[in-house]
Amino acid sequence: MDNKHIQHLHWRAGFGITPKQLQQYAKKSRKQIVDELFKESKTTTPLLVDTTEIEDYYPELFARNPLKRREFNKKSLEKLKAFNYAWIERLSNPYELLREKMTLFWTNHFVCKDNHIMHVQQFNNTLRAYALGDFRDFVKTISKEAVMIKYLNSKQNKKRKPNENFARELMELFTLGMDNYSEEDIKESARAFTGYNHNFNGEFVLKERQHDYEFKSFFGKRGRYDGDDIIDIILEQKQCAKFISEKIYRYFVNDKVNSKHIQEMVDVFYPNYNIEALMRFVFMSDWFYDEQNIGTKIKSPIDLLIGIQNTVPFTFENEKDVIKIQKILGQALLNPPNVAGWEGGQSWIDSNTIMVRLKLASILLSSSYISNKKKGDFNDAFKQKYYKQNKTKQPFKTQPDWNSFDKEFSDTSFKGLKTNLLSGVINSGTNEFLEDLSKLSKKEFCVQLMSLPEYQMC
Amino acid sequence: MDRRKFIKNSALASSLYFVPNFVRGFENITSQSLGFKRLVIVQLSGGNDGLNSIIPFNNDIYFRERPTLAIKKDDVIRLNDELGLHQSLQPLKELYDNGNLTIINNVGYPNPNRSHFRATDIWHTASNSNQHLQSGWIGRYLDNYAKHPYNAIELDESLSLAMKGKHVNAIATTNPRMHYRVSRDPYFNSVLNHYDDKHLSEHNLGYLYKSMISAKSSAKYIFETSKTFTSKHEYPNSGFAKQLKTTAQFINSGLDTKVYYTSLRGFDTHANQSNTQKRLLEVYANSIKAFVEDLKQQNTFKETLILTFSEFGRRVKQNAANGTDHGAANNVFIIGENLKRKGLYNNLASLSNLDANGDLKYEIDFRAIYATILNKWLMVDSDRILRRSFNQLNFI
Repeated sequence: MDNKHIQHLHWRAGFGITPKQLQQYAKKSRKQIVDELFKESKTTTPLLVDTTEIEDYYPELFARNPLKRREFNKKSLEKLKAFNYAWIERLSNPYELLREKMTLFWTNHFVCKDNHIMHVQQFNNTLRAYALGDFRDFVKTISKEAVMIKYLNSKQNKKRKPNENFARELMELFTLGMDNYSEEDIKESARAFTGYNHNFNGEFVLKERQHDYEFKSFFGKRGRYDGDDIIDIILEQKQCAKFISEKIYRYFVNDKVNSKHIQEMVDVFYPNYNIEALMRFVFMSDWFYDEQNIGTKIKSPIDLLIGIQNTVPFTFENEKDVIKIQKILGQALLNPPNVAGWEGGQSWIDSNTIMVRLKLASILLSSSYISNKKKGDFNDAFKQKYYKQNKTKQPFKTQPDWNSFDKEFSDTSFKGLKTNLLSGVINSGTNEFLEDLSKLSKKEFCVQLMSLPEYQMC
Repeated sequence: MDRRKFIKNSALASSLYFVPNFVRGFENITSQSLGFKRLVIVQLSGGNDGLNSIIPFNNDIYFRERPTLAIKKDDVIRLNDELGLHQSLQPLKELYDNGNLTIINNVGYPNPNRSHFRATDIWHTASNSNQHLQSGWIGRYLDNYAKHPYNAIELDESLSLAMKGKHVNAIATTNPRMHYRVSRDPYFNSVLNHYDDKHLSEHNLGYLYKSMISAKSSAKYIFETSKTFTSKHEYPNSGFAKQLKTTAQFINSGLDTKVYYTSLRGFDTHANQSNTQKRLLEVYANSIKAFVEDLKQQNTFKETLILTFSEFGRRVKQNAANGTDHGAANNVFIIGENLKRKGLYNNLASLSNLDANGDLKYEIDFRAIYATILNKWLMVDSDRILRRSFNQLNFI
């Protein structure tokens, strides 16, 4: 398999690849490389933070002493931050690369937000566990997750007073897409999810007295359906396989959907809904490696951040900055904008984010300094010194690990560095400009390349 | 100018839409087309307790439901025989007396949501409570009527959903100088002096280059325009006051921005509410006071309308932790010079006829307030932005 194609696969199924890693794959076939990707992700390593300090809290305690609830909430919020840091750390050094990338995808599909660390952690690991599994079981499990029960008001969904929020989003956002069901379908299916609740530990509880055991009519069928039955009926619709395939295509292949490719994906996905089989099919398809799919997607902020991290590892001196940078870039993990998640694609970019994104590598790696030296031009040493001396004024204090970069890129030429960092077509004028740059330091060139609009693409 | 640059500049001139400032310079055409009026939005995040802000000091139910939290009758700053202000809101009393304040009670929407996340979304996107919109109401104002991202500015490091449109997003800035400096990085100048604009049409990569050019011109415009004015007015020392001070600088320098977005956090007072709310309302009112004085001195107050809201009010009955839980309908403050209905717009809803959760019932849909501001203040078609028509109120 071509280096270019291996690199493409690793940008879409991960966060890029270093030249040394690339060497390991040299001379392997597409099938071997794709197989390895899946083999690596056979296992699931849950993401856990230490929660011992909040394990002593329980509802009766709150009832006796409401201040304890406040204390708990405060500690929980701190733990959520820790969970965010741990997640970023995991993405930077993943055990199961593809599984982690898929987890990010599902995070933006089954979108939830909550302040209870135990519930959030459990939900996040459900996403991880099912990321390459059976979509049918996945949806059923999600419908019973504490955070989902809270976020989409299943808790308020009672026999005498149904709340349609979950039923509506289940069909609109999680399985079928808009206009593929009727308002009547929503009303009836909402009744099947009545009584869904959870206990303090986040385990699912069906409150039988609030559950509606009567007949429901749904998609032309009639029965005493519960929530799982409703999900089974939804998945009988081929539209569901199409909806998910399109979403996966837009995330992993191209913003613009190709209906022929989608049809092929649906044929693989329906009716078994095996996510691994679907992803394997995508990565094995010839069209996945078409020119128009390489380097043509705008990286998400997390792709961008972890991608830089993969080339030059860095740490923030102040841990809080890990979240701050996500917020500024417009994608703070665990904090999606709403139930529809991040829109992605061009919506990542506006007048605020584009400049931060272009400046990001230099902020993280070189005290905000981007060399602008032409060939034979040595006079900006003074300026570089100025930037270094002004480190205290930097928006973020970081520790870049250039030794690791040196090791990984020791055998790589300047040209190879460019090929490694920029996946797609480079603007011809910009390319000429790159040619003219003084290439004395690979580090400087690395930051220069990462500061181009082209580096925003994968 | 070398040939390459010449070609580039003339090519830029033809792509007006993407690089407006390079071409139009600072002709100020938008001031004429969009008008001079400005809207300043203040969000009290976390759900301000409206009942302890505008207090029904003659209502027995209020005192019964809030044995330790109710504001003592003697501490209330009276507006009429029924309602009065929290003592921290003294500066608002002056605005009230001058006819510069309208208080709209019982503002909400059908089937209120009590989650901070959802309720904030609903207020930001102007959606129904069962509907999820991905663009904000000011974002859609930009989509339909603005010419530049900087026609709306949020005084923060990142944008709220309210300020995001489908096609245009507002600018988020706390420090225009820093933005400008970043955008002027010599390396970016070199890149922009060399790129070949035949690629601008390329789907995503072209979009990135265009965004880069547009961001650069916005940063330059905001910095160069706003630096022409420095406020000498004293503001209190708080983050919120700083947001308003920067806003005043933008307004007084004649920046072509129609909407400013500011926020003050911390109103989620589930426990020990009294001191927290007292402090926060003080920060709010004192900052607003300085802001209004600053604008009045520069004669720009008459062109400015300030809208203050919170994502929900709080439960009538206090909880066991000397705090209040998430509620529903709440009050909204409108501050400006030529208000049509000065003072109290309407009476407080009944405290004996609450909804099933024990919360105030709404009387005025918050989107009717948005619609009124859009139509009568910003002079645009609110139906297009709110995607539905709402009754016009007559406070302006």
